[in-house]
Amino acid sequence: MSGGAARTAGTSARTAGLAAAGAVLLVALAEVIGRTGLAGPSWPPLSAVVEYLTAPSAQRVLGRALAATGSAAGLGFVLGAAAGVALAALGTLLPPIGPGLDRLAALVNAIPLIALGPLLITTAGRAATPTLVAALAAGFAVFVAATSALAAASEGQRDVFAVLGAGRVATLLRLRLPAGLPLIVDGLTLAGPGAVLGAVIGEWFGAPRGVGVLLVSAMQNFQTNLLWAAALASSVLAMAAYLVLLGLRHAVQRRFT
Amino acid sequence: MPERAVEPITEAITEAITEAITEAIAEAIALSGIGKEFPLRRGHAVRALDGFDLTVEHGEFVAILGPSGCGKSTVLRLVAGLEAPTEGEVRVEGRGPAELIREHRLGVAFQEHALLPWASARANVALPFKVAGRQVDRARVDALLHLVGLEGFADARPRQLSGGMRQRVAIARALALNPDVLLLDEPFGALDAVTRRRMNLELARIWMAQRITTLLVTHDVDEAVLLADRVVVMTGRPGRVRHVQRVDLPRPRGTEVTREPAFHALVDQLTGLLDEAEPAGTAA
Repeated sequence: MSGGAARTAGTSARTAGLAAAGAVLLVALAEVIGRTGLAGPSWPPLSAVVEYLTAPSAQRVLGRALAATGSAAGLGFVLGAAAGVALAALGTLLPPIGPGLDRLAALVNAIPLIALGPLLITTAGRAATPTLVAALAAGFAVFVAATSALAAASEGQRDVFAVLGAGRVATLLRLRLPAGLPLIVDGLTLAGPGAVLGAVIGEWFGAPRGVGVLLVSAMQNFQTNLLWAAALASSVLAMAAYLVLLGLRHAVQRRFT
Repeated sequence: MPERAVEPITEAITEAITEAITEAIAEAIALSGIGKEFPLRRGHAVRALDGFDLTVEHGEFVAILGPSGCGKSTVLRLVAGLEAPTEGEVRVEGRGPAELIREHRLGVAFQEHALLPWASARANVALPFKVAGRQVDRARVDALLHLVGLEGFADARPRQLSGGMRQRVAIARALALNPDVLLLDEPFGALDAVTRRRMNLELARIWMAQRITTLLVTHDVDEAVLLADRVVVMTGRPGRVRHVQRVDLPRPRGTEVTREPAFHALVDQLTGLLDEAEPAGTAA
């Protein structure tokens, strides 16, 4: 037992070490390319981007944008996840509509988010579009995960519920949802970064503020450092969302299996 | 004159009706002329049961014994309402299984314990109350945990319990709502021989305390003889009743019973029948 645990610890330490080495290598490579000017003037050294970020004015601009994007992504994530789980649950409560829902979700997902942007701007408005695109991006991932999650209870468990005379609602609440929670949370870890990406895309089309707006204006005004700082910031936001959800997943897996 | 003639007739009719009713509900479980086919690909079907008849009296413990794949689990699933027969009729307490299920009057335990891993032993035993939308009878749940010898493990989660303990929780859960009929499908099939033997004695003790109509499906002859009032031996597929053996060993049956010659004679006889049943199954 302890030997196995030590081996597992050793393996995970080595994995973490390799991941850190990879990250350092990437950063170093980006720095070298920037310094040598290998990729042209639009690729600055990373150190210049970081230095740019130390200026209070840059921090203010980025901070405002991150707050807007973060809240749009967060709200979109919550809306999308709730809708995804609710739709999947509806599919188990009304089995005949299940396949139809699957197809509808696949169809909606097949429409590129880029194509939906202008449509949403004209219907839902500039301010609401980032949240809605984030919700669409997150919702599909959660719906797909939840659909298989709600079927994850073992056959024996479902038989016991059937013989005990459990109705569909009782089976959903007391068996399918808790049994499927680890898989639903797997879907959430995918949906988190997806919501950040969705929010940025939504902002691209002319939201009042946000990282997407910053990206567009920095690009058009050739503010290379700002462009890179904004891209960096949105990746950090997406990664932070992923890490928080990974923690949640770990906790759920301990509790529900 | 006419009055005197009518009276005995009405009396006879009333008597006949009463008799019919008593007869109808005298059996806790009645399977008559059961055939069951499972469809395979391209219109082919496998016939699991053929002309299967079985009645179980109120408060009787019947064990179904048969080679693997003989359809004995199918019999139990029919009584549990998890499968519908292709031919014949299944009556439990004089009605279809679905009606009893709706009234939460069946208890079941499978080889796979099927406990909820996120819930404590106590919460698992309380599950039938919640599923039925009833107030959880805490005293009953605690009494059941005591009955299966797990009062000290009420707050333990299934993964913290041994295999035998999990099956005890599953049996306590099956008993929670005082079911009319208890259905057990190889409940100790996944346990090691020593634990299995101990669990058999435990179940004999638990059953003596509850006296619920019980249908047990097993391939373990010792288990069947130790627990049952009657043992039904099935043929290989398609499953039919090959032999019904009454077990007249005195209750309560403890370890001493398993050392008696009568016990061993019965086990040997039934084992012989099982061995003969096997080739029929492979031939079909």
